This record gives sequence, structure tokens and C-alpha cells, in this order.
Amino acid sequence: MSYFAQALINGIALGGMYTILVLGFSVIWGVMGVINLAHGEFVMVGAYLAWMASDFWDVDPFVSAPAVFGVMVLFGYLVQRVLVNRVINRSALVSLLVMFGVSIILQSIMKIAFSADFRLANTDLDGAWRLTDRLTIPVTRFWVLVVAVGVTAALSLFLGRSRLGKSIRAAAQNREAARIVGVDISKVYAVTFALCIGLTGVAGALVSPLLAVQPFQGPPLTLKAFAITAVAGLGSVRGALGGAMVLGLVEAMLALYVDRIGTNLAVVASFVLLVAALVLRPQGIFKGLRHVDATST
Amino acid sequence: MSAQAGGALRGGRLLRVVGGLVGLVVLVVLAVLPLLSGTSNATLLTLTLMLTSIGVAVNWNLTGGFTGYVDFGHAVWFGIGAYATAILISLQPNGPQVGWHPVPAIVVGALVAGVLAAAIGRATMRLKGPYFSIAMLGTFVAVREIVRVWSPLTGGGVGLTLPPYLNRQLFYYVELALVVLLVSFTWWLRRTRFGAALVAIREDEIGAETRGIDTTRLKTAIFSFAGLSTGLFGALWAYQNTFVDPDIAFVEVRTIDAVMGTMLGGLGTVAGPVLGAAALYWLREVLWANLLDYHLLTQGVLLIVVVLFVPRGLVGLVDRRGASLAEVWGWKGRRRGGGAADRLTEEGLGDSAAAGPAGGDRDGPAQARAGSEPGSGAQGETAAGGDAETEALS
Amino acid sequence: MFPRCPVGGGPVGAVVSGVRRPVRAFGLLLALATATAACGDSPAEVASVQGAAASVDLGAFDGTVRIGAALSETGKFAVEGKDSRQGYDTWARWVNEDYGGIRIAGGRYAAEIVYYDDESDADTAANLVQRLIDTDEVDFLLGPYSSGLTTGTSAIAEANDVIMVEGNGTSDTMFERGFQNLFLVATVAGDYTRSAIEALAARGAVTAVIAHEDTTFPTAVAVGARRHLEAAGIEVLAIETYPKDIQDVSAIMTKFRNLDPDVFLGGGHYNDAVLFVNAADELGFEPDAMLITVGPSNPRLVDQLDDDVDGVLGPTQWEATMAYEGDWFGSAADYAAYYQRLWGEPPVYQAASATAAALALHLAIESAGSTDTDAVRRALRSLQADTFYGPIAFDERGVNVAKPMGTIQVQDGRILVVAPDAAAVAGLVYPRG
Repeated sequence: MSYFAQALINGIALGGMYTILVLGFSVIWGVMGVINLAHGEFVMVGAYLAWMASDFWDVDPFVSAPAVFGVMVLFGYLVQRVLVNRVINRSALVSLLVMFGVSIILQSIMKIAFSADFRLANTDLDGAWRLTDRLTIPVTRFWVLVVAVGVTAALSLFLGRSRLGKSIRAAAQNREAARIVGVDISKVYAVTFALCIGLTGVAGALVSPLLAVQPFQGPPLTLKAFAITAVAGLGSVRGALGGAMVLGLVEAMLALYVDRIGTNLAVVASFVLLVAALVLRPQGIFKGLRHVDATST
Repeated sequence: MSAQAGGALRGGRLLRVVGGLVGLVVLVVLAVLPLLSGTSNATLLTLTLMLTSIGVAVNWNLTGGFTGYVDFGHAVWFGIGAYATAILISLQPNGPQVGWHPVPAIVVGALVAGVLAAAIGRATMRLKGPYFSIAMLGTFVAVREIVRVWSPLTGGGVGLTLPPYLNRQLFYYVELALVVLLVSFTWWLRRTRFGAALVAIREDEIGAETRGIDTTRLKTAIFSFAGLSTGLFGALWAYQNTFVDPDIAFVEVRTIDAVMGTMLGGLGTVAGPVLGAAALYWLREVLWANLLDYHLLTQGVLLIVVVLFVPRGLVGLVDRRGASLAEVWGWKGRRRGGGAADRLTEEGLGDSAAAGPAGGDRDGPAQARAGSEPGSGAQGETAAGGDAETEALS
Repeated sequence: MFPRCPVGGGPVGAVVSGVRRPVRAFGLLLALATATAACGDSPAEVASVQGAAASVDLGAFDGTVRIGAALSETGKFAVEGKDSRQGYDTWARWVNEDYGGIRIAGGRYAAEIVYYDDESDADTAANLVQRLIDTDEVDFLLGPYSSGLTTGTSAIAEANDVIMVEGNGTSDTMFERGFQNLFLVATVAGDYTRSAIEALAARGAVTAVIAHEDTTFPTAVAVGARRHLEAAGIEVLAIETYPKDIQDVSAIMTKFRNLDPDVFLGGGHYNDAVLFVNAADELGFEPDAMLITVGPSNPRLVDQLDDDVDGVLGPTQWEATMAYEGDWFGSAADYAAYYQRLWGEPPVYQAASATAAALALHLAIESAGSTDTDAVRRALRSLQADTFYGPIAFDERGVNVAKPMGTIQVQDGRILVVAPDAAAVAGLVYPRG
């Protein structure tokens, strides 16, 4: 029983981590139609920033996260102005390739700057709460989950209630109609991209004590974000939370209940889920900000 | 070919003749090279690896360039071909050699890749545009992990070692012949109805369907062929390398190189992938090998520059007057502003081809933009998902 | 056809000059046109140019012994590749400057090592080793870094009948292929954990769990560990595998916590050590001993994890504190001092293994009295030497079976050898507490 409870705890904790990791990717895709293949690299950059704060100035990642957010918003704005704007009106494939180029560039810059060594940031919120001998709650992951739920709620409120949020949703659903009613599309895109990259950077900062910070940590995270988003619906904030929880639980159960190769299988899970979700249910499982049918162009 | 393209066509024909002659000379040089006394095994190995790279790019171009299905996981067929062959040759992981003779093992290894490509392609080719790309990327990673987990058969993460048989000259000639065959096949394909149908799929798949083309069969056929052919290169590579493990048989870089080489040379052209892959290999061997850490960086920059500014690749650069070369070698279709790759991506995969009811389009904004073009009638799958309201945040 | 310039290179040049290759873009363009080698300066010329800066006069020698090595300057093995290279260069420097050249039949021969960067890539390494054999016509090869790269390149060496002596590719499977030309001075992966397991069994450990990365080297280590555990009467309760670049091992640690074993044995790469120690802490998994394959012998791990890593055990091929001594370089400590003088940092065991590989080749050449492959191979097979690295004697597979693997334990932030007894400088702390 406690084993199952521990599996649940691990799964939910993992799901919390995936939620914060996937939000930015999902919203950019949902609103702008850009599949950000460099998503994992933005996580990585945020993680490096937090690691630097932790290593050089001894600042806890949970404390430096707002600063990382600020820096990453600026960075995101820059990338949007210089690159994304050029490809936004072209096909999804062009932006896919360009963002892929960005990911390679970010990887190699970080590799040159920091070498391929693995790093971990230090946080005071570490260790475990022991409920019983066989049942523990990992402290860092718990707080990541708390932040993830908070950010999800805030983002949901922002998109649902605020004026800017409403413009973003309008732009996602029908750009031309939104323009006609006076929404400044280019501003909406700039804000969306910058905000999402900021969020993604925060995700990186929060996982910097958990996942090894290294230049090539990004691609698996991008694929995971894709898998979750494809299942959860583009730009759907609550869907992201749900999808992330499902994946987290599936991975935790596989890893705990399959002997010997459980952890290997958990790694395969998201990719199998990704392909299966696309092939079996191309129109998506949940509804998101924009309708999707992967079998139509 | 339209009348106004006539002038350009003459230029194109000249270029084609010159290009063909140059190609012939290069071929003769490559054919006699191993017989020259100064040619070392090292040179042959380098050239063999370059031919492998070219072969994979040419195969990638068959689906990515002609049908417009941009495969981000193409290296999976390379890895499957390599593994199937390695399993057959060794049969008993790391044990005594009781396995097959290499020749049937390589042939069957390629067939395995082809059959799996047919099966997977049937499922994934229902997806369009970036969805197909990402599904293939997911397939690639999933297969690599499955190979890693399936240790009784594949030797797991430890991999399989093969008896070393390192006749560089033989491998060189075999791969040279394969590449020549493959390029000739592509050249011939462009002139057949089959080839025209493939391009029609890229230009307007739903339109092609309404004209009675069995698009599913055709695109799956070419996808399987590309998988088989890349599997063959993988099988040969495994035997040459004498060792496979999941991380060296399934390498993302092989896909990246194929995509980049083809884009660099010219998407959907016959000569493009050959020129592009060779140029890329040369860049890597010569320039990047001496740039140490910076080669990945320059590669990323190159990718962005090519996509943004040279969308028609080297082949497009050669002929600045029009699309003639590009047309002769790859673009028979409409010519209407924008680069070739652009048109491929915009029309073949992108938004305008299926200008169906607004709700049915994946991409609202682009849909609106392309709205002026009479829709080709979004039917079937598109309509099925059709009337969905884009519901705001659930 | 495709010129790739040797890295640094030269007998001692590399020691003096930097490791960075110049960009020869112009020469390369020229090369494309002429399809000839573009490194206008052949390796020999590189050697003389850079050798001039060194204090060795090549003219003083009767000739050169040419040795080739593909090593990773870039890519995932860049760090270990650099260590290996410094190890080889330490030998080259020592043999040319201090020892006075390799003594062959009354003459003295300079040692020259031609290096290429294999970019940590199997294809590139294969290509470069072929090039070393054909184009650079080296007499012998030294190994690359990692089992994966050694597996591929050793097959090329075998097919071309060139001897390869190496110290950093230790997977057992490589030595089950019946190769005649591959020699390993280090302890084979299967025996990595042997001395630690024997010491733990002696202290009363009865149960163990194993987690290993599912790649060549960690699997070889784990398979060997299981053998040694069972031989020592320790029951293996579970074995878990995980893929390369794993980011989360909490499930494995949760499973293990439930089994409550005495010994946790795990690892693959440096990063895994960090993850295991952290996850154990996070989940309250507290076995009496944690034996981690790669990481604990690296001072960086202690820096990074502070107290959490205290008491963790790890295998080591070699440590400067070990009581080994030989006629060449002197004792292990002497070697470490020599190395420190050259490179400004203490040697890690990868570097010592590399130096030992080159030294074994050197000794075999001298005892053969020629650079003839068959003669040197015979000499390697019958070689028996005590060195700073430990005893060296190859079995019929080409593996050095004379040297045992050491075990270190982190005690109060210091890395101390605790097994085998002959090399130990401190007692094993068990349970780790």
C-alpha cells in the first residue's frame, strides 16, 4: 500500500515538474502556431542562470526564479523580434527549422561557455519529509509542484480575465477577426513569446536542483513538451496540467512496477504516447486554444 | 512548361548538359580512384562515409523533397537496417559467430527496414506538416529506446560486435554503385507519372486525391522505398563499423545532415541532395574539424541562414535568372514568387493547400490569409474535425 | 582527399605548444582544388616546427618511433580525452627528454605521437585510425578514450595488423573477439568492483542491489559486480537498468529503499553519481555502503555534494597515494609530481592509464629490440614489469591481469584508498553512517 502511495507521490511530483516545463511551449504553439523546437534549450538557459546564481552568489533557485524570469523575458523578446517575427507568417515548417537552428546554437554556446560538465544548483528546500519509513515526500519537488499549480492558476486567470489575455486568446482563435476588432497582433505575439520564454526560464530555474544542468539536456524536454501538448490541447493551460500529471503518473508507475527495465520503459513512454496520440487521435484529446487536426494541412 | 519559361529552359538545358558532364567526369574519377597507387584506405573510408551521407540525403529527399513529408526521424531506418544486419550476422550476442553470411544479412537487414517503414509510414503519413515531422522524431527516439530495452535480441545498450571484415575498396565500390543507382532512379522518377503524382501530393494533396490519385498508396510506397534504401546504407555501415550500439546506430545527426544537406543543395531536386550532402560533408571534414567546438554553432547559423535566405539551395543559386534549373531538376509546378523551399513548405505542407472551412483548418490566421485561393474542398478527415469551435481555455 | 590536420603533434611539441589546431581555411580551399593533403605541413613537419620550441634536438636521435592516437578533443569525451592525451604526452616528454629516447638495438629513437581529434564520434575515430595507419604510416597505435570508440578502432588495428595499446577502453567484450593486437594496461571493467566487494563481504555485508546505465561499459561493470557479489556470498536482491542521460532515478531508489539492502552498487557516468546521491538523500534511502562506479574518485564530486557524498565508495584504476613503484618515473607519487609539473594539475587515473599504456609499448619495443609488429607483440605477451601504475603483465586476451583495481572512500571530504589492503592508506568505514 505504501508502495502504491509512494508511486502516486512520485508521479504527482513528476507531473508538477512537467506542468511548469510544458506551459510555455503549449501557449506559444497555441497562440502563435510556432512549434518551438528550442523549448528545451530555453529551459536549459534558465537552469544555467539559476545555477550561476546558486554557485557564484549562493542564491537559492527558488529565490532567483523571478530574476531568471525577467532575464528570460528580455531574451525571449529579443529572439521574437530578430527571428520569430520573420517566420511567423510562413509555414509551420519554416519556423520549425529555424527554431531547430536556434536550439543547436544555444546548445553550442552553452557548451563553449560552461563545458559539457553536469551541474546542479543548491537549494535549501531539499531532502525529504518522512511520513513513514517507506513513505516520503521529496521537498524540492513538492515546492516545484506548488509553484507549478500557482503559475497555472495565474496564467489561466491572466488569459481569462485580463484585457491583454483576452486579446491573446482572440489572436489565437482567429487572427484576422482579432485584427479587425482592433487587437495589435504583433504586440500580442511579442508579449506572448516573451512571457512564455520567461515562464520556460523559470521552469529551468526550478528544476536546476533536480535535473542535471548541461548543454544537451534540452531535446528530451522538448519532445516531452510536445507529447504532453499534443495530448492536452494546444495552449490549454489546464490541459497542460492534466497531461503532465498523466505522463508523470504513467512514468512513475512503469518505473516502480516493472522490474529491471522499468526506468527504461518510463523514458520510452512519452515518445510512444506522442506517436500513439498523434496517429490514433490526430484531432487531439482535449480542446485547446486552437483547434487541431494533425491529418489536415 | 509554360511559354514564358522557354528562355529560361534553354539556359536550364545548357546547365543541365554542363552539370551532367561535370557529374560524369566526377564519376569517372571516383571510379578509377581506388586503382591509383596513391589512394589509401583512409581516403576510401572517408569517401565511403561521404557516399553514405549522400545516399541518406537522396533518400530523405524522396519523401521530404518530393512528397513534402518532412521526416525528422529518417535515421531510424539507418539504425534498423544496421541492427537487423548485425543481429543476423552475430545472432548470438557477443558469442561465437554462428550467424548468417553477410550478403544475405545485409539484404534482409534492408528489407526489414523497408517493411517497418511501410508499416509505420502507413500510420504516420496520415499526419500532415509538422505533426508528421514530430511523429517521426518520436518514432526515432522510441525505436532507439526499444532497441535498448530489447536486450535478448539486440544486446541492449551494450550492442553487438561483428567479425571485422574491412575491405575498404569493396565497400567503396558497393556504395558508389548504390549512390549512382539511387540518383539515376531519382532522375528517372522525376520523369514518370509516379514522380509527377508525388509532386502533386506535395503541391496539393487533397486536390490530387480528388483527381483520382491514390495518395496514401503512393506516398507510403515512396516512404517505404526510402526506408529500405537508407536501411541498406545502415546495413553496410554496420558491417563496416564492426560494432553497433543504440547510440551509434541511431544518431540524430544523420537526420540533421540529411535535412541540411538537402536544403543546402535544393529541396526536391535530383542534384540538390548530392551536392548539398557532399558540401556539408566537406565542410565538416575540413572546416569544422579545425574549428573544434564552434562547428555546431556554425551549423546552427548555417541552417537558419539557408532556411531564411537561400530557401532554394545551391541549385537555386546557380541559376539566378529564373527557376529554370530548379524547374528542370525539381520544380515542374507553378512558379509564383518566393523560393522553392518556401513554396514547398507553404503550399505542400503549409496552410494554403487545404483552404477549407475556417474551423477545419489547423491554422486560423494562415487560413484567413490564404482564403483568397479557392479551396480545394476540405473533405474527409478535415471535415470530420471540422466544426469544432476553438473553445477558450477549458 | 579530405585533409584533416593532426592535432598539435610532434614528439614533444604538444607539450610545449597549445592543443588547439590552427584554422587553415586558405590551405583547405587549395586542397579542395588539388585534392591533396592540405595540412601543407605534414605531421613530421609539424613536429619539427613545434619541436624547435622544445628543448629536444631531434638530430640527437638515431630515428623516430611513430605512434598514432585518435583522442576526443571535442564532444562528450572531451574532458577525459584531454586527460588521456596529457597522459600520453607525459610519457613522450619523459622518454625524449629525461630518458633519452627509446633504446632499440643500441640506438636511441625519439618518440613521436601523431594526434587527431575524433570528436567523440565512432565514424570519425574509425576514419582517423585508418588514416593514421595508411597516411601517417604510424608504427603503433595508442587507444582512444572510451570502450565504444576502442571497440570500433581496435577492429581496424586488427585488420591492418597494427598493435594498439590502451588504458581507457575496458569493456570485457572487446577482449572476447580473439584480437591479437589489442592490449589493455588497466583493469578490465568486469573487475572494477572486485576489491570493494571483497572488502565489504569481509565486513559483513550480505545483501546488495545494482543499478547501472544500459551501455557498454557500465553493463560490463555490473555483470562483473554480480559475479563478484555472488562469489563473495552477497545476495543480489535486484538489478535495475536505466538509459543514457537519465535525469531522474527516484523510482529506482524508491524500489531499492523497499528492499533495504546493505550495499548499493550503481553507476555509469559522473552525472549518475550525483543523481544517485541526491535521490538517496531525497527519498531517505540509506544503505550501509554506496559503491558508485564513476565519480567518487573525482574531487569535483566532493566539491559538488559536500557532506552527502561522505562514505561513498568508488573504484579507481590508480591513485597517486598507491604504493606502486618502478624503474621508470619512480613511484606513483613521483609520477604524480612529474605530471603536476608539466600540466599544473594532479593526474586523474585516466591520465595515468594513458601514460602506462605508452610505457608498456615502450618497454615491449625495447625488449623486442625492433619496431617489427610480430616481435613487439611477442614482447608484450611476455612483458612483466613493475611500474608506478602497478604491475603489468598481459594474459592471452591482452588484458593486464597483474594489477588489481583499487577502491577509494570519501572520508571527511578526502579521497582515500581503502582497498585492496596492499594499497590502502585508511580503513574502510562501514556502515557509512
